[in-house]
Amino acid sequence: MRIVHYLNQFFAGVGGEESAGMPLDSLKGAVGPGRLFEQLLGDDAKVLLTLVCGDNYAVENQEEMVAAAVQRIREVKADLVIAGPCFQAGRYGMAAGALCAAVQSQLSIPVVTAMSEENPGTDLYREMIYIVDSGTNAAKMRDVAVMMMNLAQKLVDKIPLGLPKEDGYFRRGFIRDRFVEQTAGQRLVDMVMAKVKGEPFESEMVPTTFSPVRMPPGVKDLSQAKFLLITDGGLVPKGNPDKIQGSAATRWGSYNIEACDNLKGEDYEISHGGYDPQFVRQDPDRLVPLDVMRELERAGAIGEVYEEFLSTSGLANPLSNTRRMGREMAEKAKQLGIDAVILTST
Amino acid sequence: MQLTLEIHPIENIQFGDSTRLQGTTLFVDADDLRRLLLEDTSLIGVEFDIAQPGESCRAGPVFDIIEPRAKGPDSSPDFPGILGPPHTAGFGTTHVLEGAAVTMLREKSPGDSRGATGYVLEMSGAPAAGSRYGSLHHLIIIPHTKPELPDHAQQKAYRLAGLRAAVYLGRAAFNHSPPSSVTFDAIDPPAKDRDGLPRVAYVGQIFSRQRKPELDEQILYGIGTDGMLPVPLHPDEWLDGAVLPSYHTSLGGAETYFYQNHPVITELYRRHQGRELNFAGTVATIASANNFDRERNCRFASNLVRSVLKADAAILTKFGGGVPHTDLSETARLLETVGIKTAVQVTDLARDHKVESALLFNFSEVDAIVCVGGNSTSWRVARAERVIAASPELKEVLTGPLEMESLNVIGVANQQGASRLRAMVY
Amino acid sequence: MQITSALPIAKMVGANRLVLGNGIVHVVGDANLSVEQEKEVRRQLVQKALKALQADNTAA
Repeated sequence: MRIVHYLNQFFAGVGGEESAGMPLDSLKGAVGPGRLFEQLLGDDAKVLLTLVCGDNYAVENQEEMVAAAVQRIREVKADLVIAGPCFQAGRYGMAAGALCAAVQSQLSIPVVTAMSEENPGTDLYREMIYIVDSGTNAAKMRDVAVMMMNLAQKLVDKIPLGLPKEDGYFRRGFIRDRFVEQTAGQRLVDMVMAKVKGEPFESEMVPTTFSPVRMPPGVKDLSQAKFLLITDGGLVPKGNPDKIQGSAATRWGSYNIEACDNLKGEDYEISHGGYDPQFVRQDPDRLVPLDVMRELERAGAIGEVYEEFLSTSGLANPLSNTRRMGREMAEKAKQLGIDAVILTST
Repeated sequence: MQLTLEIHPIENIQFGDSTRLQGTTLFVDADDLRRLLLEDTSLIGVEFDIAQPGESCRAGPVFDIIEPRAKGPDSSPDFPGILGPPHTAGFGTTHVLEGAAVTMLREKSPGDSRGATGYVLEMSGAPAAGSRYGSLHHLIIIPHTKPELPDHAQQKAYRLAGLRAAVYLGRAAFNHSPPSSVTFDAIDPPAKDRDGLPRVAYVGQIFSRQRKPELDEQILYGIGTDGMLPVPLHPDEWLDGAVLPSYHTSLGGAETYFYQNHPVITELYRRHQGRELNFAGTVATIASANNFDRERNCRFASNLVRSVLKADAAILTKFGGGVPHTDLSETARLLETVGIKTAVQVTDLARDHKVESALLFNFSEVDAIVCVGGNSTSWRVARAERVIAASPELKEVLTGPLEMESLNVIGVANQQGASRLRAMVY
Repeated sequence: MQITSALPIAKMVGANRLVLGNGIVHVVGDANLSVEQEKEVRRQLVQKALKALQADNTAA
């Protein structure tokens, strides 16, 4: 196993804060914790290269440092990259996280690092890479190294990892199923009873917090505004030309309504498996209010309705899809010089 | 009066010249049962088959699975409001053929979010091990309805045939003394010496108004939930035929079998007997189609739990897909604000296998969540030696080998509390 | 701006300028009304939407 190890100046034994400005350097063989890693992984594991960088230099020149480090790692054809452990050292954690994330995405080789929960690097990179929970006590170096190498070995051997708790890493936010002994009904009663008794319990799912979407300023003059109609109710022309999926849709379409005064049921169908479509099928204006928009257009109350409406299907759709589609639609609206969007959702 | 379940274990089902229970073998007179079912003129024919645990056998698309049960004399009716008068369920004796099942098939794939195969009953291998249904002995009914029958009438015919067959088989246990019987300690009023135990309630969604119920759809004592408000039910009403699942498998994860053997209710009863808690009762509710109804329903449900059931804690489960998360979590939030502790069950909604896509709510009070998995489990299933389906085309679809999503194997991702497939966070 | 019948979900993801629709099955309609009455319901919802679009900082 060919390993490259990243260390900051302090753990590499170069110096303390006075050396924090040192640029990236590479040393042959294992240094400091690297020797422990070799020992733990056994005979065929060799740290070929130890990359050392000063904490300040790494943070101030992150892009260059990471690019140079990735280049060195590529040259030595490493099978595994280890960074840290960083414990609560914030700048070190940020650098280790950035490097590991870059190596993983550019070279597709396993990466492992370790930090404490409070380390800002944990917050920033935990979803991207495996970060072992090192705690804050650097005296526990050996215990942390054991956890890191256990994880590294599994990643290199492509053995599925255990749960975060079992393998000592920070939750990345992936979901995988597992058959368990107890039925959901039994788990529910256990959980509620623990709560009643004030005993600790572990929720099986954690909610996601969304930051509020920034609100753009209001439209000052509606009579000059160009409107775009969008829906996630799955309204598509008969035949569903873009094959927009009725569930977890990955696509959206734009459909011409230039010549229409309103929408006719016979021209459209619904590709959305999550609601009873009979009413919108009868009259699609119940979903996309074109008839009323045309009235307002004629009366001069609004400027104009753009010649196409955008449509997709919002059912059981993961955020990774919906974010992308939302971004694409927003880009289109921007290009078209749209002033206001009315989005109708079922 | 109390409910007594007389339990007759079944270890084998066979066709025979009369329908009878002999030891742990249930003999079924197919001709006699066919005559009974064909009294419904919506049906022009029915076929029967038997599937045993461990067999290389696959059946589908499944409409419903029902435990054969029959009410004894001087008891409440069988499936009140549907097969019998709408009298309160849960009284007297119920004969239970434990280990047996009536599995009602559909004539065509529902073609909704359950895909081309619909719900599939799998009798061997890993999928069978992941579902309680894999260990039951099934009498499978293959219906043939009159041509040109509208969808809702077809499905009503499936519903009635399944229930009638279940009662018919259950009656084979009449005049047999059961090896065991179950009565639950009364929950109301609680015995004096039970003071001080926490009172725990169950709040279960029985339908989601994301869809309008079909014409004739019978969900609660024969009604289709139109205009329904949350309603307190005695736990025995759930177990004894008051509540039935929707016709729509897209709102899946509920079968009659797990109302009769409701995993949350039976677990609460077990701990009630064990004097760990006082089972305070239940509320049946629905997920709403709009915000106005949602606010009303959630407030009604939480008020019933607080003022009528006087509970200290409540367990909530949802029905159907994504939007019901909203009703579930809002009800739980309202309960928490008046000091009633909650635990809720959801299904994992994350098709991208990411935690951020899993839930449709985020309330700090709603912090005890049981999560049924399904999105990251599928099996490559082998060609089945025997495929039971209503048409040659469906047989071909189901024969295999094929990739079987866990969400398509009936029972695996059950939403009534029976699932052992858990979504784990990595 | 968004007209939706699943308001709590839209709020959860941080959307602003929200108007409550008239039910999942017909967000800007009402199958129980006559054609003219229904159109009036739709008109009112769209008017509310326009108002929300003009506002600078509060959700309608």
